[in-house]
Amino acid sequence: MKLFKKIGLALLIVFIIIQFIRPAHNTSEQLLSTDIAKIYTVPDSVQHLLNTACYDCHSDNTRYPYYAYIQPVAWFLARHIKHGKADLNFGEFGTYSIRKQQSKLKAIINTIRDDEMPLTSYKLMHAVARLSKEEKDLIMKWATITKHDLQSK
Amino acid sequence: MKKIISALAIAAVSFASCNNADNNNTEADVKADSSATAMQSDNMEGQNETPMNGILTGYLQVKNALADDNANDAANGGKAISEAMAKLDRSSLPEAQAKAYNAVADDLKEHAQHINENSGKIDHQREHFEMLSQDVYDLVKSFDKTQTLYKDFCPMANNNKGAFWISETKEIKNPYLGQKMPTCGEVKEEIK
Repeated sequence: MKLFKKIGLALLIVFIIIQFIRPAHNTSEQLLSTDIAKIYTVPDSVQHLLNTACYDCHSDNTRYPYYAYIQPVAWFLARHIKHGKADLNFGEFGTYSIRKQQSKLKAIINTIRDDEMPLTSYKLMHAVARLSKEEKDLIMKWATITKHDLQSK
Repeated sequence: MKKIISALAIAAVSFASCNNADNNNTEADVKADSSATAMQSDNMEGQNETPMNGILTGYLQVKNALADDNANDAANGGKAISEAMAKLDRSSLPEAQAKAYNAVADDLKEHAQHINENSGKIDHQREHFEMLSQDVYDLVKSFDKTQTLYKDFCPMANNNKGAFWISETKEIKNPYLGQKMPTCGEVKEEIK
């Protein structure tokens, strides 16, 4: 029992120490000229869905929930955001080649259709990110039109 | 209470080790990159295999593997494309090739990488293969080939929306439907 107490105390100390190891926050106030909204038509209804269901991990602006200030949750989130942005960053959409933009729009359509995105773990914590069928259709339709317009470029 | 604290701490440590695993991956990537560079110098005597040809060879490996429903081999083909791209020096390309390459390079790189990383998901590999085929088509149109290539089209691929691929043989071997419908498709263009 004494041993358990010692271990518990040690772990508690570890827990407290890791609170000081904070990853940098993914927030930026400015809207880049390469943002998808600056180069293509994004209707307000679609932009709203992108903001609420996608931008936390796929842009330079994450809206952090309160629990994101507790370690190791923040590490977990930082990793997700890093991977999310590497795969697709709506804020840097304009830096992609036209071909890559088409691929990304196709990937958006496929992942929304197959329910791969938003991630289940994200939807668990964000009720607004649980897209209805109509909302999914809205995003997929917009992506299809935008992709189609790009094919003539 | 103690149990809760221990559980939290264990969770903390395991998350921390997750982060470490991530770092290890990056190190492995760096190692892979340097071994690719080593291979480059080993290959100097094999001058006829240019990086552009290397991309095509990797692509055909992916294509043939998908036609055989072999996701592992497709993944290897994806890796071969990435390695060929790492060897390619853009400034050494003639203008027309450089233009074609620059227009597709970032896209090509990602598809190759995803095909490499998804050896367990052949459907996902096939989705990337469709866009990969477009990139490779643009590339092969821009450089002199040592062999005749064929642009094949299957109307049933891609959920009946249709999709094409590049092949080194006149005979149809469908990479989208694999062994389910190996001969679906027809030659649309001979690329010489």
